[in-house]
Amino acid sequence: MSRSDGWAKAAGDARYVADLALPGMLHVALTRSAVPHGRIAGIDTTGARAVEGVTGVFTAADVTSASYGRSVRDVPILARDKVRFTGERVAAVVATSRRAAEEAAALVDVEYEELPAVLSADEALAPSAPAVHDQPWAYPGAAAQPDGPRNVQSVAAHGSRTAAEEALGRAEYIVDRTYSTVSGHQGYLEPQACVASVDRGQIRVWTTNKSPYRLRSQLAECLGLDPASIVVEPVPLGGDFGGKGSPMDVPLCAELARLTGHPVKLVLRYAEDLTATNPRHPARIRVRAGCDRHGKLLGIAVRAVLNGGAYAGFKPLPNVNLHGVLDCLTAYHVPAAFTESVIAYTNTVPRGHMRSPGAPQAAFAVESALDELAQASGLDPAGLRRRNLAGSTGGGSHGTGPGSDGSGPGSDGTGPGSDGSGPDGTGQDGTGQAGDRGEQTLEAALREAAASRPAVPRGWLHGSGIAVYARAAPALPVTSVRLAPAADGRIRAEVPIPETGTGSHTVVANRLAAELGISADRVEVAQVSTAGLPFDPGVGASRVTLGMSEAISRAARAWRSRAGDEPVVAEGGADGPGEADGPVISYCAQVAQVAVDPGTGQVRVLEILSAVDVGQVVNPLAHQMQIDGGAVMGYGFGCLEDLAEDGGQVWAASMSEFKIPSMKDVPALRTVLVTGGRGLTEANVKPVGELSNVPAAAAIANAVAAATGCRIRDLPVTAEKVYWSLPGPGGLEASGQEQHR
Amino acid sequence: VKVSFTLNGAPVAADVAAGALLVDVVRGLGMTGTKEACGVGVCGACTVLVGDLPVSSCLYVAACAEGAEVWTVEGLAREEPALIRAFVEQEGMQCGICTPGQVVAAAALARENPAATDEEIRDFQAGNLCRCTGYQTIAAAVRAYLASR
Repeated sequence: MSRSDGWAKAAGDARYVADLALPGMLHVALTRSAVPHGRIAGIDTTGARAVEGVTGVFTAADVTSASYGRSVRDVPILARDKVRFTGERVAAVVATSRRAAEEAAALVDVEYEELPAVLSADEALAPSAPAVHDQPWAYPGAAAQPDGPRNVQSVAAHGSRTAAEEALGRAEYIVDRTYSTVSGHQGYLEPQACVASVDRGQIRVWTTNKSPYRLRSQLAECLGLDPASIVVEPVPLGGDFGGKGSPMDVPLCAELARLTGHPVKLVLRYAEDLTATNPRHPARIRVRAGCDRHGKLLGIAVRAVLNGGAYAGFKPLPNVNLHGVLDCLTAYHVPAAFTESVIAYTNTVPRGHMRSPGAPQAAFAVESALDELAQASGLDPAGLRRRNLAGSTGGGSHGTGPGSDGSGPGSDGTGPGSDGSGPDGTGQDGTGQAGDRGEQTLEAALREAAASRPAVPRGWLHGSGIAVYARAAPALPVTSVRLAPAADGRIRAEVPIPETGTGSHTVVANRLAAELGISADRVEVAQVSTAGLPFDPGVGASRVTLGMSEAISRAARAWRSRAGDEPVVAEGGADGPGEADGPVISYCAQVAQVAVDPGTGQVRVLEILSAVDVGQVVNPLAHQMQIDGGAVMGYGFGCLEDLAEDGGQVWAASMSEFKIPSMKDVPALRTVLVTGGRGLTEANVKPVGELSNVPAAAAIANAVAAATGCRIRDLPVTAEKVYWSLPGPGGLEASGQEQHR
Repeated sequence: VKVSFTLNGAPVAADVAAGALLVDVVRGLGMTGTKEACGVGVCGACTVLVGDLPVSSCLYVAACAEGAEVWTVEGLAREEPALIRAFVEQEGMQCGICTPGQVVAAAALARENPAATDEEIRDFQAGNLCRCTGYQTIAAAVRAYLASR
């Protein structure tokens, strides 16, 4: 069955938030801070109010003083007394047209007394640094401690520091390297948007949010309302990739609707989205890895320092950290592993989640360091990994997965699009043993990559690089589904999750059809408002297929045994199948083939091959698109994307500067599915949405190092960086470093 | 200023601000299939046909469409269902925001170079960004559409 929403989307009939209009609706535009850190000395709204069509100009004095957040509630609706980043909301204009609102917003005159700003995590963590927040521990849900170091949003660690130090002390070979990554935007093409109305105390919102039930709670907490007085309406999302999980501008719009007595609409300009929403955390990650003389890992210590920006409220975990950093050694058995992640408050745009939060940054560091360790110990990169991949327990060091920090089904990143599968013993490797999935996945990648080699431009250097990522499946989310007869004789499945683009609604139809033994086109799937179903944590953490599969199995059983035409509601997740056989781990091994022009440093990624550990795939094409889209996103992270922050400002304020890959840019993509994995639920599914985007950047950097002998330790891998790291003209051939692996 | 043009085959007239952009005018006329994303003519989501040419309607001053034949995705879907069918059958989409622009670009390619090679398809559609799919199914949809004609 093709996508249930396919025709409407391709024909332009699908209605997104920006396409909605309510009777009497007014338009909102924002005045944003022009300085990274300052006291608001005065706001003159005279000029703005004089613009024809302006209904009102509102500042912090007009709206609730309560702050909001996904976990820590430290984000003000409008800046109060102080601004903490360039781009922060200071005033909101409401007008009869968007044009009038924008014209007026530019005329709001804000006087700032600039304060010393901290613009990087390192600056912020210095003992004498200016404080971004005077009392960060005082916010509801704060992870910061009153006696903790200055400007710390969050500190989290796994493993024993002492044991790792001891192991590194007796290692035969050791590398100690620091890697860095820059800030990047999720790159969803639909800007953040909100329509809100208030009618007799009932708030209704249509917004670009993937967690409607959580949004309802977050709004209720912020506005001091009963959640029952808030309804989050169903609407498709134009991409998410982790960036659409926060309340963003919804609390403000709800307040503006209340203040004006009209429905209001705010659609961010893309420049605002790039500069002032919740991009990925820039990271500086030190990796110390040691092995014995046979290449067996003894210990690894990873310390990541991340720039969390001005507010922590865009991260959902109670510790407001990123599990992808702490879990970065899941693929390997490391006898003494220690990972720690420090996130700093700075006077820069607040950071949020992006597809497998923290993992792409950490995998770039760890997988680069393993190549460097291989070189130091005289092993080849595949050999070192083969020797150390996690053994028959199915998971390696810190293979604890999202939510291991007590968050439950916490984190998020991107969509579902899981797949699943029954162990069928027909894995490509022929063994079908669940315990060696990492090794099987790596071997499949190496074998397929060797089977054909892309053409290399004449005179260019060729290199190939590998990288491996492993991720534990999330805890099964508590979710719900309602089945009822549809008017046209089909079965209507009402779900609590928005369709973010991953095909999740189609996967629901596929799963329900399989359970009931009917054709998928006999199933109609619809998102309903938050008034319609008990609960759902929202889209994210690669969990939608997992959670919905279980709820659907239960709903299908209830449907078959129901009396009459009564609808059935089933919940799933709370008491779902345990992990008696250990956590379910998914592996992804990638091989990147690059060509490097020795004259200019230009890198062309010729191919990314992804070997993915799967169970039973529910919807093969949707599954494949998760892999392809992820690999391309990983390529963008590796080679292109940079928000170009400087002086506390995001300078890549348009898509002509923040470059995401085009059809012309993408490398050749190949995939090998390593079947036979042990999955979760009766459908035996495994997550796929946050695998192939993770190791790609490291695979590319490793390939560039193999081609040139030059190691790029800061992303993205640009021609300029490669050029300046190459020996002088002719130096490569003269020094004999050219390698063809 | 007053501007009149043909929108999806039907004459329309509008009184718009001098700098009004075509994307806002067609969306204001109910054709919300045309999406605005980047707003600077880079992503291609707002692509419409002016005559046979694909233009970024977020950069195109509406008054310049005076007397022109403008086609949005809605009109193309009505006139050329095989185009939509190709995207549906090949699943050349995920979130759907870039899809109308991809569809309009594909219609322009079919007019300009109906026998486009894979390389030419990639060149032509490079102005239409997609963050979801990795582009494989979009290229397949364009290929299938060209082959169906």
